[in-house]
Amino acid sequence: MARTEEAIIKLSKRLCDMMLGDLEKAKRPVLEATKCALDNTLYNHKVGYLTPGGKMVRTELNVSSVKKMSRAVFMLEVLLRNIDSGAVNTKRELYYISKGEIKHSPRLKPLDFEEQDESDETIDFITEMLECYREDMNCYANDRGGQTYSQQLVVEETLPDGTKATIELSQLGTSPFQPKNRPQNLKLRTKGKVDFALIVESEGTANTLVANGFTKRNKCILLGAQGVPSNAVRGWAKRIQDQLAIPMYFFGDLDAYTLQNIYRTLKAGSAASLIRNSDYSAPDVKFLGVLPEDIEKYDLPDYAVKESDPQEARALKKASDALKNDPFFRDSRNKGLAKILHWLLKNKRRCEQQSFFSVSPKDPVMPEKIILEKIKNRVYV
Amino acid sequence: MSANPRKGITTSSTAEYFSKNLQQVGFSSQTKAVLTTLKEAVDNSLDACEDHGILPELRVLVEKSGAGTLKNSDRIRVRVEDNGPGIPPEDIPKVFGEYLASSKFGRGRCSRGQQGIGISAATTWAQLTTATGARVISKTAGQRKALSCLVEVDIKNNKGTLKEKDTIDWDRPHGTSVEFELDGRIQLNGEAGLTNYLLGNVLVNPHMTLHYKLQDADWVTVERVTNEIPKIPDSVEPHPHTMKLGEFIAHSHLFGRVKVEAWLRKGFSRVTPSVIEAMKKTQGIKKALLEKNVDQAGDADFKELYAALQNVELMAPSTQSVLSIGEHALEKSIQRLGDVDFFSVVTRRPAICDFKPVQVEVAIARQKNRAAGTDADEPAQVLRFANRVPLQFDKAACAIVGALTTVNWRTYGLAQPKASLPIGPYVMAVSVVSPFIKFKNASKETIDSSDELVEEIRRALMMAGQRLSRHIKSEARAADLERRIQHIEQFGPILVEGLVRITGASASRKAKAEEGLRKILGRDAKEAQAAVTEANEKLEEHLKASRARRGEADDDEGGGEAPEEIVEAPPEKAKVLKKSGGKKAPPPAKGKAKAKGRERALRADGVEIFGSESPAMEEPGEGSPGMEG
Ligand SMILES: Nc1ncnc2c1ncn2[C@@H]1O[C@H](COP(=O)(O)OP(=O)(O)O)[C@@H](O)[C@H]1O
Ligand SMILES: [Mg+2]
Repeated sequence: MARTEEAIIKLSKRLCDMMLGDLEKAKRPVLEATKCALDNTLYNHKVGYLTPGGKMVRTELNVSSVKKMSRAVFMLEVLLRNIDSGAVNTKRELYYISKGEIKHSPRLKPLDFEEQDESDETIDFITEMLECYREDMNCYANDRGGQTYSQQLVVEETLPDGTKATIELSQLGTSPFQPKNRPQNLKLRTKGKVDFALIVESEGTANTLVANGFTKRNKCILLGAQGVPSNAVRGWAKRIQDQLAIPMYFFGDLDAYTLQNIYRTLKAGSAASLIRNSDYSAPDVKFLGVLPEDIEKYDLPDYAVKESDPQEARALKKASDALKNDPFFRDSRNKGLAKILHWLLKNKRRCEQQSFFSVSPKDPVMPEKIILEKIKNRVYV
Repeated sequence: MSANPRKGITTSSTAEYFSKNLQQVGFSSQTKAVLTTLKEAVDNSLDACEDHGILPELRVLVEKSGAGTLKNSDRIRVRVEDNGPGIPPEDIPKVFGEYLASSKFGRGRCSRGQQGIGISAATTWAQLTTATGARVISKTAGQRKALSCLVEVDIKNNKGTLKEKDTIDWDRPHGTSVEFELDGRIQLNGEAGLTNYLLGNVLVNPHMTLHYKLQDADWVTVERVTNEIPKIPDSVEPHPHTMKLGEFIAHSHLFGRVKVEAWLRKGFSRVTPSVIEAMKKTQGIKKALLEKNVDQAGDADFKELYAALQNVELMAPSTQSVLSIGEHALEKSIQRLGDVDFFSVVTRRPAICDFKPVQVEVAIARQKNRAAGTDADEPAQVLRFANRVPLQFDKAACAIVGALTTVNWRTYGLAQPKASLPIGPYVMAVSVVSPFIKFKNASKETIDSSDELVEEIRRALMMAGQRLSRHIKSEARAADLERRIQHIEQFGPILVEGLVRITGASASRKAKAEEGLRKILGRDAKEAQAAVTEANEKLEEHLKASRARRGEADDDEGGGEAPEEIVEAPPEKAKVLKKSGGKKAPPPAKGKAKAKGRERALRADGVEIFGSESPAMEEPGEGSPGMEG
């Protein structure tokens, strides 16, 4: 969940005070963090996103954990200082800041992070412990994707100094609006009615649709996901859903990877980010396609999944695992999606979103027509 | 000790050939000339002592005595003194001045010398380069005074001549001293160095006391670590399938006037009446040929007989003729190589490889001083032995090296680049003993690597590796403890300081927390320490158990020789090896009687070896070397 700066500072101090108190009593301090893994993942369609179960990762101080704890306390100090000064950093920058601190203070040498993985892990440990977003601690990822086009949407942003900025997307010409990874600071409204929002897996295809006049002809919001959605895209979709209450569709490839890693994450979040799914998923988004039935109906060129390709083989294996273990795909509300996974496993074929361009090659607007037809006829899952 | 009827010196051929081809027998370079001279003398001393049940004590001197006559050479003095039986005066010219004069020739024993070339070649080299032969002092138990003389080779006539004969008082009951002055160069270090040669001898001769002085260094003494003289098994007759035609013909010369059939039956192992029958029936050998006197047989006859023997099936030779140093003695001996952290030794049971009986022994030690040095990244030092003679050349082609590089040492905790020798301060000694060892070349420098032999050596190495890994693991635990303690010391204060800064806590709280942290982590360290102690105790227990298994009490000086490792297989087992070619197996009754007779004879001697045939092809109990597969 999101926490305010004051709450984070208070929580951090209390945690450190507890650890110190335990040490004074020669008692081993224990740190607890939510376990972010599939085996601690719950799904309830009424909630709409993946939530953590009761499992915690307990880290008790001993010879093997003393390094991890020392690193966490060290990094916490850096992050608290950033909150205090209002400075902002990416994870990579924090890696270098840590290295700099350690260079200037030889006593800290043993803490040194050899690879960025190690400092990233420490940051994640802290956020899981405090149950906050790293953005709350002024740590931003290099969030990509989410370029958004609309003739109706108006975004009002509250800046750190309290002033407000208003962005009218229709005024941006061919430039898209790019959401930031803290969409909680954005307020949305529309000029007139908007019928739907469309999220396209490929940012390139999103751009093509817009260039061919999609947003001119339709009262809509159109955005590109650029593969697995970043926090920015996820938070942004959630914001659109909450503030505008319009139907939302996802258009992407028909394959196991898209369904599990891209669409599921957009709709319900992921097991790795259990503590942030509530603000970073849009449970109402529908899967518009490509659907298995579209292949036949539009005679789309599809092709066989090469099981010899390790990446594709992994995706298939993951799909069959998901059908067994993933509470999202096992939920009765998501039967339709599970059915697609079954279809993919059985037929071992895949079909890309761009195949819509094959239907009537001379008509650049054909894909738009199909998308609109599908929405109109409610051909989605 | 041996009941061999043909004991005594025999001669053949001429010295001329060898004097022109000295490079073939180890005199191919200046440094090798010195090493080979030393080697032939030391081999002879050790063989002679062993033959006569004497605990050897050798004095070895190698030094520069002037400038050499050849370009780039020095004049080198090599002297080897022993407390052996001495050489009867009438034999001295033969021993040092005649080629192919040997008491060991063709006897199928695991002796170091085999064909009577060695020491005469050394005399020849010395004579050709410095014009002086071998200076010999020798005294047998029967002589009151010792004979001192200079032996030279009469190359034209393959005869030794004595000069400067003198009888002198000598401070010992018996023994031999031989000194050469030769052109050569001293190479002390490296694989082919003199130090390595002496070190190797020290390892495989735990019963030897060695005094040596190399070049300008002081005298060094290495004391014996056992009073057990290796039990030299009775000789076996050669197996026809292991001989070349030339050897086959030469072998006949040892027999004088006997019938061919008698020669075949008595002169070879596994040539039984049924084999003779098979030669007649399936190979067309005529009765007349078998009844011919062997000294009248011509080359064509020998060729025919030889071919026939190669074509009939023969039982594999007996493994009784091999000799082992023994794990207990190796354990002690390997610690003479320097400061040793830990070691493991393995004596395999005798086995048959390529129709020859062989026994493989392995000793691996990690050396302390090398570990501390800068060469910890270097490959393990390899000591190779064939019939307890160190092999120092042509490593790459050797069966022992072949086996060493194909074992996966990483399984046992050693570092090893792919298909190479393991890395680290280890000495890895492999000894192969066989009465009919197959060398790659005439100067006896490498063991021919047949698949069977390599596999047998690999098994021994894997067993040794398993034993070694116990030490390495317990050591890894100790290192882990060390690391943990360091960990605590490093991170503890950093953690507390961080917490204090974030909370703004007082100095007294800080002090108390530091105190508490020390207590907590101290408890952890104690636990880790306990784990290490437990691991060490387990290792100790294992070592005790394995000693007990070999029938050695902890404090038993020079205890028994692994008797139960040489498990007797029932005679039927030996027959399994025989294929259907020969008509019939030898009548069991006879075979048994023979075995019994031998057993009794050995017991009377006070030397206990094995009673009946023991091909011993099955695996010893320890570990499962199959792990790697
Ligand atoms: N130091 C010695 N003490 C007693 N006997 C010796 C000694 N050196 C050599 N002999 C005898 O001389 C023989 C010939 O020696 P050598 O020419 O080296 O041939 P080989 O060692 O192959 O038998 C030996 O077999 C042995 O009987
Ligand atoms: Mg010799």
